[in-house]
Amino acid sequence: MKISFKFAATSALLLGISLATLGPAEALTRGGTLVYGRYADSLFVEPVLNDGNVDIWILSNIYDTLILPTDDGKGLQPGLATAWQVAPDGMSVTVTLREGTMFSDGSPITADDVKWSLDRARDPQKGIWNFLLESVGSVDIKDPKTIVLTLKHPDPAILSALSVFNTSIMPKKQFEAAAGADDAAKAKTFSEHPVGSGPFTIQSWNHGSEMKLVKNPHYWRKGEDGQPLPYLDGVTFEVIPDDATRILKVQSGELDGAEFIPFSRVEELKADDKLDMELFPSTKVAYGNLNVRPKLKDGSDNPLSNEKVRQALNYAADKDAIIAIVTHGVGTPMSSYMSAATPMHVGSGTEFPVDVEKAKSLMKEAGFDKGISFSCLVIAGNVDEIGIATALQQMWSEIGVKLNIEQVDNATLQAKYRAGDFSMRLGYWTDDIADPNEITSYFGYSPTIQAQHSGWKNDEFDKLYEASQKELDAKKRADEYARMQEIYKNGPIVPLYESPYPVVLKKSVKGFVQIPLGNNIFSAAHIEK
Amino acid sequence: MLNLGFVVRRLLQMIPTFVFILVVTFVIVRLLPGDPLSAQAGDRVTDAQVAHAQAELGLDQPMLVQFFLFVKHVLSGDLGRSYVVQIPVWRLIGQRLPPTLILTAMSTILGILIAVPLAFVAALRRDRVSDAAIRGTFQVGLSMPVFYIGLVLLTVFSAQLRWFPVGGYGDSMADHVYHLFLPSLTLAVSLAAVLMRNLRTAIIDVLNAEYVDFARAKGLMPRVIMIRHVLRNALISSVALLGPTIGTLLGGAVITESVFAIPGVGRLMIDSIYGRDYPVIQGLTLSLAVVVSLIFLATDLIQAALDPRVAQ
Repeated sequence: MKISFKFAATSALLLGISLATLGPAEALTRGGTLVYGRYADSLFVEPVLNDGNVDIWILSNIYDTLILPTDDGKGLQPGLATAWQVAPDGMSVTVTLREGTMFSDGSPITADDVKWSLDRARDPQKGIWNFLLESVGSVDIKDPKTIVLTLKHPDPAILSALSVFNTSIMPKKQFEAAAGADDAAKAKTFSEHPVGSGPFTIQSWNHGSEMKLVKNPHYWRKGEDGQPLPYLDGVTFEVIPDDATRILKVQSGELDGAEFIPFSRVEELKADDKLDMELFPSTKVAYGNLNVRPKLKDGSDNPLSNEKVRQALNYAADKDAIIAIVTHGVGTPMSSYMSAATPMHVGSGTEFPVDVEKAKSLMKEAGFDKGISFSCLVIAGNVDEIGIATALQQMWSEIGVKLNIEQVDNATLQAKYRAGDFSMRLGYWTDDIADPNEITSYFGYSPTIQAQHSGWKNDEFDKLYEASQKELDAKKRADEYARMQEIYKNGPIVPLYESPYPVVLKKSVKGFVQIPLGNNIFSAAHIEK
Repeated sequence: MLNLGFVVRRLLQMIPTFVFILVVTFVIVRLLPGDPLSAQAGDRVTDAQVAHAQAELGLDQPMLVQFFLFVKHVLSGDLGRSYVVQIPVWRLIGQRLPPTLILTAMSTILGILIAVPLAFVAALRRDRVSDAAIRGTFQVGLSMPVFYIGLVLLTVFSAQLRWFPVGGYGDSMADHVYHLFLPSLTLAVSLAAVLMRNLRTAIIDVLNAEYVDFARAKGLMPRVIMIRHVLRNALISSVALLGPTIGTLLGGAVITESVFAIPGVGRLMIDSIYGRDYPVIQGLTLSLAVVVSLIFLATDLIQAALDPRVAQ
């Protein structure tokens, strides 16, 4: 059977429906600059070499990809490509490029730019995201409007990979003209004044303080009024690390919106009739990350290597209480290692409902009825982490577990974690791709990073993951993921909670969305007068 | 008159200080647990990628080789590139130092404007209600956490009365002064408290000095006595105190910078230490050392002008 993805037709239909429901009376306001408060500034606005959500989550405003994730984070829609087709044997993908697209400097986007960008994104020597394009053997220009990706093996996630920020199409000539001896040096120069084809372009950037984006006049997408997007003339990011100040600035009208609102302030802001307190669905999960190697770095025996002990910890941890304490009730329990918003997620409710008696008997079965003691690394001064660790400390004391809370700074924590020199740390994760393969690769597939540096290794899990990476049958692949999620119940984590992205906006701000993958999408945002 | 020999001597004394700071900063940042790659790398980075990046940054070379390269670059005016934001360190410092310098200058001026008249009132009305009230108020101000004073000022004067913007730095010099007024006031409270106490004691001491009695006996106007004899002599110890206090303000305004969203060096320093961004920590420490040394020089010169014995 020929596998064909006609997303263009589907999206045209959806656009038609949305236009019909909008009606002619609701005119959109164009113009104006939206001022948005961020908790931290971006660091390196470069699609291939970056490694941080502060960059990733705003990249799509500056750069465009061939395919775009849908607003629910699960599907795909046309970007710089209008159509794509996977060959019946799954060994190649033919991509049709959109006619007449341009970079923000007015130069045309050519097939050469696309090939160069994809080749750079899949280069194993460049950055950390090339694994998403591991299956690609070559990228070839068939004609000026057609690109063919020849694969080394069938890849069910290849289309999703073409919607990830690292496959952003960049201008080859402008990049190569940037000052610098090699690719890394050129990337540093180029990303100071990047040229992309996203809805906005960077006008000025004062690091740590303010980034001004202005409308890209050459952006290809059309708005609901039939005119090119974006509706706004610009977006200004103000960096305001202090939560209270960020909120005060929205309340005083100096900001149109702000991200990372502390959960403790959500109820209060919901009650403010001048503001919209948004809780955008996310793929964010919070968990305890356990070291399950038989011996710890200091040579001592590690009780957490025992599956029963890990199960006992899971049953003794009252997730609802933690959700109430840390997220003020905004979070939801995890029902799998992956979030409910991740494709192929299986499960509902709490994965391990609290059952202290069961936990006690599991500790007894494991031979640890006299109790155990281990440490949890937390970032010094991080209120959420200290709150979670303190709650777990109390809960686990009921089953004879003495949890020592060790506060260290992030660099120390990361170094210990990477070296496997820890018993437990607290981890957070958000997906970057509309596919479960990324989280699964890092959380469970041992060759990547030993399952979150835990030392956990399950041969069946590894084999299932490898098979799922080549499985084109959606049903079979979903079954493989269901089995992996089942196996992972004995894995190296204590699943805690999922939480949304808390964003506060003035009532006049419409059309902004933060999708479950975290991307801040300002292309359809507008300010009503 | 400016004693040139004194200035040259003080400038020469700074050189060993800078060399010492260079060496100590270079070694200390590398002795901290963790490394730049671990500090910045997210969960997705593999060990091989960390090793590759370390080699690219030259961090796999012996420390002595790294130090030699660092000194060579510093002597040619190159402070390196930030590992985190990838831009040259001098440009980053150029962006972040002015807000802190303006904030420090404004806080110092405000602190002096508040402290000097109140110190006089407190000293002249020693042990009366007004003296107790002034000292008590400052004691409360000094013991309140800076972030709390900042948030109270923000809530009252910015959010409710709308007299000032809620934090930020502004775009022009006038705008900077407007934006930095409340944060300067926040910092000035503790500065004024320290200055006021010191100055009050000094004024009381000077008022009891024989030369003041002599001036009075000569029939000089009280205002002349106050300015020419009392203030001038009382200020000597306060000026000496000002140098280190301003130095602390420069590096210690982190909380104020955070609360008021000021893109200054305090926040940059903390971020760089957390991120183990060696070139930025080194460049920033050196820049701050230069600024602080110049402030010390300035206070020394003022002291020498007030009391020529200092320059001897």
